[in-house]
Amino acid sequence: MIDWLGMAVPPRMPRPELKGRVLARALARRRRWPLALAAAFVVAVGGGAWWAYSTIGALETERARLATRVAALEDTVSSFIRDPATRLIQVPVSTGGRVGSVTIFADSARHRWLVRCDGLAPNAKDQAYQLWFITDKGTQAAAVMAMDRDQPMVMVLELPQSGERVLGAAMSIEPRAGSASPSGPMVFHLEL
Amino acid sequence: MRRLKARDEHALSELYDALAPWVLGMAYRILHDEDEAEEVVGDVFVKVWRHVHRHDPRRGPLVPWVLSIARNRALDGVRRRRRWWRKAERWGQAQAAGDEIENPAPHEAAVPGWPLHREVHAALATLPHDLRRVVMLAYFEGLSHSQIARRLQQPLGTVKTRLRAAHQKLTDRLEHLKDWLE
Repeated sequence: MIDWLGMAVPPRMPRPELKGRVLARALARRRRWPLALAAAFVVAVGGGAWWAYSTIGALETERARLATRVAALEDTVSSFIRDPATRLIQVPVSTGGRVGSVTIFADSARHRWLVRCDGLAPNAKDQAYQLWFITDKGTQAAAVMAMDRDQPMVMVLELPQSGERVLGAAMSIEPRAGSASPSGPMVFHLEL
Repeated sequence: MRRLKARDEHALSELYDALAPWVLGMAYRILHDEDEAEEVVGDVFVKVWRHVHRHDPRRGPLVPWVLSIARNRALDGVRRRRRWWRKAERWGQAQAAGDEIENPAPHEAAVPGWPLHREVHAALATLPHDLRRVVMLAYFEGLSHSQIARRLQQPLGTVKTRLRAAHQKLTDRLEHLKDWLE
């Protein structure tokens, strides 16, 4: 009942322009978007920071892994190149109408080869280059190399451990999954 | 009320026409400053529009609810302003002149709700001076019981007794009032 006391005071006529101002203020939609925008900004910044943090972490791990691998490869290549037991063999090849080469660093002390292929024509989709060891007991698959892009390829091959003597090497073009024995066009044939 | 709750903007406009003079009058009576009183008017109608669903008709009519919002807003303004010394001086002058209820200006008789005003005004006027004084200090200045006691240099118990008596008399006189807006 006490709230009726407000009516005890004489009224005052508001200035006419006050009504428009008051109604505009009352009827204005509450602007929630600045708050939503701020929240979205915070979420985006937080999400971005989290993404950057996790990405940087993943990249650092990958970088460390690659650095280790490169160091190991450098070590391997260095040992192949500088070791007195390494024999360097370079074979010119012609594939798909272009001239390339296959370079073999044959390490007789560690019984492994470093093979680098340059200028080989990319394979057809269902084909691959296959490298063979020619031993005193026959031909033995060494590696299958599917070349989809025109770029050099390097690989390390362990020589057969079952007592065969490696007499030479060969490369042929085979089905993509590889063959048990050479069946496709010969790229090179080499006797050591 | 139904139209307000149904978000009828015309209803808000009509409510403004009916109540703005009373809200402004009361806010001015408390604040003695036209600009601040107009601010209160704005605050009140914004709050009424946004929170009309909170008003429970079973607990009282719409007009006293709106007036209570206006009174609270105005008293908030007074409390903020009491720290402002320049305004305090003006406040003191206004108080010296404002203990009695102002008489309505004749041209204001056309304002909606005028009969209600006359009834409330009359109810307040019938209170003995001592009772009316404590009601005015409590309602229009927002003073607590102990603040009123200090201001009037009366015992706290006396102030409480006078307020209780004033409330009872006002309730008896105003019990039949109903909003003209229903």
